[in-house]
Amino acid sequence: MTLEELREKSGKTLQDLDACAPEEILRLFEGVRELLEQDARQLATGPASSGGQDAARDEELRERWLSRKRGLLTLINEHWLKAAPKPLKPVAGVSFNKLHARACEIFPDNVAVAAGRKAKASSLPDLTLPGLRRPLGSLHPITQVQREIEEIFINLGFSVERGPEIESVYYNFDALNIPESHPSRDDWDTLYIDAQTVLRTHTSPVQVRALEKYGAPLYIIIPGKCYRRDNPDSTHSPMFHQIEGLAVGPNVTFADLKGTLDFFARRFFGEKTRTSFHPSFFPFTEPSGEVAISCPFCDGGGCRVCKHSGWIEVMGCGMVHPEVLRHGGVDPEQYSGWAFGLGVDRYAMMKFGIDDIQLFFQSDVRFLGQF
Amino acid sequence: MRISLSWLKEFVDVPGSTDELKACLTNLGIGVETVSHAGEDLLLDVEVTTNRPDCLSHRGIAREIGAACRLPLKKVQVNFQESAVAADSRASVEILSPELCARYCARVVTNVQVKPSPAWMGRRLETVGMRPINNVADVTNYVLMELGQPLHAFDLNSIRGSRILARRAKAGERLKTLDGVDRVLAPDQLVIADAERAVALAGVMGGEESEITASTRSVLLESAWFDPVSIRRTAKAQGLHTEASHRFERGADIEMAPLALDRAAGLVAELAGGEVLRGAIDVYPQVRSRPTLLLRESEIVRMLGAEVPGGVVERILKSLEFEVKANGAKAWSVTPPSFRLDVTREVDLIEEVARHFGYDRLPSRLMIAPPRPERDLIRQRESEISEILVSLGYRQIITSSMISPAENARFSSKEAVVLQNPLSQEASELRTTPLPGMLAALRWNLDRDQDDLRFYEMGKIYWRNEKGQACERRVLALGLTGHQTPVSVHGEARDIGFFDLKGDLEALLQRFAFRALCLDSTGAACYQPGLSAAYEEKGRPIASFGRLVEELAAGYKLRVPAWTAEIDLEFLLEAPQRARSFKAFSRFPAVVRDFSLTVPSRIEYTRIAEALERAACPELASFAPVDLFRGASLDSAHYSLLLRVKFESHDRTLTSEEIAAASRKLLDALASLEIHLRGEAPAEPTSPRPPNSKSKFQA
Repeated sequence: MTLEELREKSGKTLQDLDACAPEEILRLFEGVRELLEQDARQLATGPASSGGQDAARDEELRERWLSRKRGLLTLINEHWLKAAPKPLKPVAGVSFNKLHARACEIFPDNVAVAAGRKAKASSLPDLTLPGLRRPLGSLHPITQVQREIEEIFINLGFSVERGPEIESVYYNFDALNIPESHPSRDDWDTLYIDAQTVLRTHTSPVQVRALEKYGAPLYIIIPGKCYRRDNPDSTHSPMFHQIEGLAVGPNVTFADLKGTLDFFARRFFGEKTRTSFHPSFFPFTEPSGEVAISCPFCDGGGCRVCKHSGWIEVMGCGMVHPEVLRHGGVDPEQYSGWAFGLGVDRYAMMKFGIDDIQLFFQSDVRFLGQF
Repeated sequence: MRISLSWLKEFVDVPGSTDELKACLTNLGIGVETVSHAGEDLLLDVEVTTNRPDCLSHRGIAREIGAACRLPLKKVQVNFQESAVAADSRASVEILSPELCARYCARVVTNVQVKPSPAWMGRRLETVGMRPINNVADVTNYVLMELGQPLHAFDLNSIRGSRILARRAKAGERLKTLDGVDRVLAPDQLVIADAERAVALAGVMGGEESEITASTRSVLLESAWFDPVSIRRTAKAQGLHTEASHRFERGADIEMAPLALDRAAGLVAELAGGEVLRGAIDVYPQVRSRPTLLLRESEIVRMLGAEVPGGVVERILKSLEFEVKANGAKAWSVTPPSFRLDVTREVDLIEEVARHFGYDRLPSRLMIAPPRPERDLIRQRESEISEILVSLGYRQIITSSMISPAENARFSSKEAVVLQNPLSQEASELRTTPLPGMLAALRWNLDRDQDDLRFYEMGKIYWRNEKGQACERRVLALGLTGHQTPVSVHGEARDIGFFDLKGDLEALLQRFAFRALCLDSTGAACYQPGLSAAYEEKGRPIASFGRLVEELAAGYKLRVPAWTAEIDLEFLLEAPQRARSFKAFSRFPAVVRDFSLTVPSRIEYTRIAEALERAACPELASFAPVDLFRGASLDSAHYSLLLRVKFESHDRTLTSEEIAAASRKLLDALASLEIHLRGEAPAEPTSPRPPNSKSKFQA
């Protein structure tokens, strides 16, 4: 029986309801009792929760059952009990009394309810109370920065490429012109899985994989996790994130590298940012360079972040080494290209003023909630 | 490498201030890490990249500065008188392994007096970080720092047979090196030997028995060129990294050997007295010739995007001691000097030009790539999934891919990928499951009194397949603790429950067009039965989720219930998405009816839903369970379900007869599951009621 059904039934007599045997009457009352108990469960807990909407709702429930004119129990008393055939009266009477006692127990006419009734009549809710918020989540700061960097290059026509984290020594080193016999191999503290397999130490292996897959021309950026055997401290993490860029095409020059990275730096660090390029060495680029930006925190004047030099080194870059193009199946006489690599974690640290890389991987909500 | 400014000035007139010098070196690709005072001297700590062993000396750095500032490089001071006695009458040199030792030069100095070096030399060595030993050993170190050529001094009297042999070590041969370590050698390692035994680990470290001591009278000075790969392997195998091996493995200057030898002989004669015997022994079986490289003007333009004037190209290369000859009108034939082993290609020459021309002076041009028509669906999908999760209140976390074997074993039976050289046992395997990282994140926050947590991580898991191959796959992990609704002035708190997590998964999965997504009520072993489940698409597991079993939660010291889910993200990234096409909705009012049903306990809701969907009732617009009730007057074999149904038609307002007929259809469909309206005899369906008197959609 639903509440609506009961409301309809409470307007009819027992005869109308075809309840002519004591069992049927008992079952009928039992149904009513179930509905009453259902409402009891909807009550706000106890007299302590006074005022506001709870009290208003409680009062509504009380009215439903015990209202002097339209209360369900009033109607049942009126139609079922008073009009009951004599032999059935004791059964109906006893059942009704139990029900009524229970209803009074559930809906005491106590102070809280009375106060609620008063509140309903006289006052509006305090609208200065905080709103009921559905909490929003958040993207990890590294993801936010990674996406921002990706989008700058996507707007320049680059697409995103990915590669495996478990990488062969061939792609991680050999194909990038880093032979085992050369000391430059030691520049990467490598985590080995076996003699031929490593956790990639950089995103650069995807350069060769992508060249093999798509050939030239190719304009891609490669975000991803990388690993090095570095003991964790405030600036090192054995797991970190890199973004690699690769542009290979006819007539791609060092000038394109400079202009594109300069554009990127101004987009990411602010339009006033200046860039400076100086030579460096990476086995997989020739010529190789480092990019420094004018310190965005002091405008190049010198501060703690830039160690009072006015400049911050932000990435390595260079023209793709002919051997790397060759390993990717691209003719270095026909195509040329540039590449760069940057550390996303470091960018996020710079962008948000974070002084400890470990914070990224601790998952503290007091940290995550700030971005 | 540490560079003394006063020493540098012996080779080039360093112009300008320290800052200018620093900028000059940086622009040449020689990073200056620190500049500090050392007495009256100035010390520069420079970073030399692995390709430039020629810059691992004062003279090498001076050459770069000279070329950049157009200043001449001063000559190395060599002055000594040779005695009448010929050196080769006192010692002989033989190279038995020319593949590992391409040149061996030696001089003999007799009647030396070994004692501490004079103060000026001791100071210089200490400034660049070397410990003074005695005047002979110090000379070899001094010349090393000055010219970059590693030297060695033997006590000639301890060289048996006065013979120097450059040969491979015999298997199991032993040598006690200067650091006092007794080493076992292998045949791929080159030694310097006398007539009987090894006396030095060639290019790495000398032997203790032939060490220069206070009683040494005759010295044999060695200046040689050893194969870089062999030195690197030997140094690695012996776990010895020395100033000598550092330079030899990068490539020493084979033509520097005799000059460095003479410089050292002169210094020994000056500091230790003694006579330099006549003639240098120089065993150089095959004179090295440097390849001549073609440098095309067109190639400079193609690589740099700039025309560097021909005169400038020539000047730069010549100042760096490259031989340059015109080769036609628009090209040169260039021979790199012997100390530039890194220059082997045309592009290496172009780098030299760019480096000394100045990267900052080269032009700059923004490049726009030709856009590709295909969309990056993976990136887009990842963003969309993240968006849903963030809007559902999840914060993204990133946890380590490297975990302990115990944690992997706790959650999965997959064979883990193990690291050979992990940083610690705690990070020695790649994770086969994202759950340990998720639980660690939950614990970290619970331990800091932050209880209402909703995390997601998108990352990879790694394992070995049946063939033993290492595999990796993207997964999505969710982790929840605490309240679904936190306590507030507006209402009571409610804890997270099974259906909260299930609801979030439904919100996520409804984006995809699954063919046969079904829920399996037996969750993974890490979850409590009855509070866990798994989604499958055609028998393939997509997601498994639930409440963590007590033992695991206790193991992670989680003091509140934790709910987690693991989802096959890679599958979602590739799965077809639900088509987004417009379906017209009805212009006519819908009618809502509540059905109070008595349902046999064994019938799950999903079967009711299937039955309704199959009922072929076109007026059925939607339905939802709004109340469920067990016990009281109901026998244990049944439960009561209040189903709210919406009827509508696209072309008219439904009449009460039509609604009654549609209701009957639905009830008939349910009757096959022995589901009936409550309180009604099974056989006679009657019309259900409107949900409540306030309904706006009553017929």
